[in-house]
Amino acid sequence: MSAITGAGSARPGGLLERIAWHWRHDPKLELWLALAAMVLFYNLYGIVFFLVANAQPPPDPAWELPRVQQWFNDNHYGLPIGFGIIFIVTFLTAACNALIAYSMRRMSVSPAFAYAYFIIYSFSAIPGMLLTCIALVVGAMRPDRDPELILWLYDLAFMAFDGTMGVFLVGTTIWMVAILLDKNRVFPKWFAYLNLCNAMTEVVVAPAWLFTDGVFAWDGAITWWIDMIVFVVYTGCFITLLRQMILREDFGSGPLPELPAAQAATS
Amino acid sequence: MWALVLFEGMLFTLYFAVYMVCRVQSPELFLDSQALLDPRWGVLNTLVMLTSSWSIARCVQASREGAYEQALRNLALTFFFGLVFVVLKVAEWSAEIRQGLTFTTNEFFSFYYFLTAIHFIHLLVGFAVLGIVAYQLRSPARRSQQIVETGATYWHLVDFLWVIIFALLYVMR
Amino acid sequence: MPAGAPDSAMIRRLARPGPPEVCEIHYFVIILGAGRAAAGHDTAPQSRGPLRMDKTDGELILLWSVPGLLAIWGACFLLFPGFVQPMSPALTADEVAAFYRDPDNLARIRYSMILFNWFSVGLVPILALIAMHMRRMAHRTPILSYSFLGCVAGAPTLFLLANLFWLLAAYRPERDPALIQMFNDMAWVTFTSQVGFLVGQGVFLALAIYLDRQARPVFRPWVGHFNLAVAAALLPAAFVGLGLEYEALAWNGLLAFWVKNLAIAAWIAVMGLVLGQAIYTRRRAEAGLTA
Repeated sequence: MSAITGAGSARPGGLLERIAWHWRHDPKLELWLALAAMVLFYNLYGIVFFLVANAQPPPDPAWELPRVQQWFNDNHYGLPIGFGIIFIVTFLTAACNALIAYSMRRMSVSPAFAYAYFIIYSFSAIPGMLLTCIALVVGAMRPDRDPELILWLYDLAFMAFDGTMGVFLVGTTIWMVAILLDKNRVFPKWFAYLNLCNAMTEVVVAPAWLFTDGVFAWDGAITWWIDMIVFVVYTGCFITLLRQMILREDFGSGPLPELPAAQAATS
Repeated sequence: MWALVLFEGMLFTLYFAVYMVCRVQSPELFLDSQALLDPRWGVLNTLVMLTSSWSIARCVQASREGAYEQALRNLALTFFFGLVFVVLKVAEWSAEIRQGLTFTTNEFFSFYYFLTAIHFIHLLVGFAVLGIVAYQLRSPARRSQQIVETGATYWHLVDFLWVIIFALLYVMR
Repeated sequence: MPAGAPDSAMIRRLARPGPPEVCEIHYFVIILGAGRAAAGHDTAPQSRGPLRMDKTDGELILLWSVPGLLAIWGACFLLFPGFVQPMSPALTADEVAAFYRDPDNLARIRYSMILFNWFSVGLVPILALIAMHMRRMAHRTPILSYSFLGCVAGAPTLFLLANLFWLLAAYRPERDPALIQMFNDMAWVTFTSQVGFLVGQGVFLALAIYLDRQARPVFRPWVGHFNLAVAAALLPAAFVGLGLEYEALAWNGLLAFWVKNLAIAAWIAVMGLVLGQAIYTRRRAEAGLTA
């Protein structure tokens, strides 16, 4: 965390003391808390979905019924425990969306962009993540359930995960347009183009509804693997850029100043 | 704008790579399916795209020289060729669908529709970009050369992607 | 300057009095103030808050909706036969089907769920009032109130989903029992496990209260502690998926049903009272100033 020029009291060393200092004195505390929420959420998301619940990379839609049942049985504890954690930390997404909405309020564009983005992403968590987790938890609950019903829950879960493509498509496009129009230099323009790539991956996921195997199925090379690569890069980028934005934040309304090191470099 | 070229280029490279891998895995299927495509559509579309790239390059050149009327005319020409491409592509798709060749027919045609469709979407975005360039050129108060060049770069990217798609889907046997 | 934003002079006029380092202005409030000023309302100095609270602004109507809502929700809760003696997840499919097919139960299930459906978003008005109060706090940014609002949007939607599944389970009782059991499972799991946004409401409100550093904070610190305690009480319910193995976590269990629902009821009651007190105190202060 950077020194706030003119903040006054010298900051003591030691991690706990520094945290206490920031809690008491840092004017950007709310922003840092939101960023911390974002980092925490995405890390937990990765750990739970990939490791604990074993739901990513997704299992094969082309599996036979017994194989699907076996997958649920293998993850009989991982699914409810992992997704229990996700159910709790879902609220961190509200802080993530709030921070990004705030970044758009800092731009020179209409506040409508920020509100639209915030509203869109606020309701995206339910069909896009929570419904998937609920369906998988219910699927894992009763190993003796009718296999056809287990398959239905399996389909519901993974299709719901892909099924919010329109939400993210429009949301990320809104952010892209806001960045391109922005005169306050809150984000670099290249990030707008990365938003376009992210929007593309939402378009590209559409064939998942049509296939149960091949590269266009929900676990396919195109609809999952490439999309996940883009998503990881995109998320890493915007977390870094938001961190830089917070460092540069001056609570004003004109162009956002550069970081001191960058200013020294360009002067 | 070069960031866009880089990102989109990498993304499409990944898609092309997946296409190549699938092609290597089932060469007969791909070859037989490719034979069902009429290469004349492809050639015509490629010529149209290349011409539109030429016209937008002339537009940028005129804009650099300050000849804004001429730049706008070249821009209109680019727009026109883009529309021609759209019409041709839709006609080609209609013909193929009437023949019974759809997205779910086989793996090759999944790729065919997929690649041409995402290119098509980029082209539609390109129309919006051309609109922004036109907006810039129209009024002396604006005329940011940087935006004009950026828009032209995007159009060249769309053209470049089409050439590769044409080579992969129509030509490479 | 963002379009429609007032100039710095107007910002100073709209500013609440207080130490400069805690009196940052929320952009939303600025825009609202600018809109009102542009519309010709006067921003007279006696309006202590950034928003002028006229007597008939409907705030009290929203506040007094809470007792009515609690009565309706309470009635639905008692009406739904699956709540008063909460259904066990260990019932077999046939037992679940029998529950839904029992003529004594079926009508009560349907009507209670229809009522719940009508009024599921009934709490949103006072949550919005709480969000308004968060905006009056001495924060630098609107982030905490945005986050709170994001949670407000999510929670009733999830309850509606559970509601839908219960209604579906009851819709064709002659259906295959395995299907009825599945819809019943989906309903109970959704109802019990989706505590995330409720936890979020508590956490963001508590944070907002702790960071509200001014001479007369909007809410006292104990309200923050209470919110965190309620949030903690909701945590076990998220693990309802383990309910068949651990009784306390089952959707009729001590932690996942009784503690969770009682905590929510306590939250509504306490926050309703706290909010009412805050609103009435402020309105009396404003009336005293304008008198």
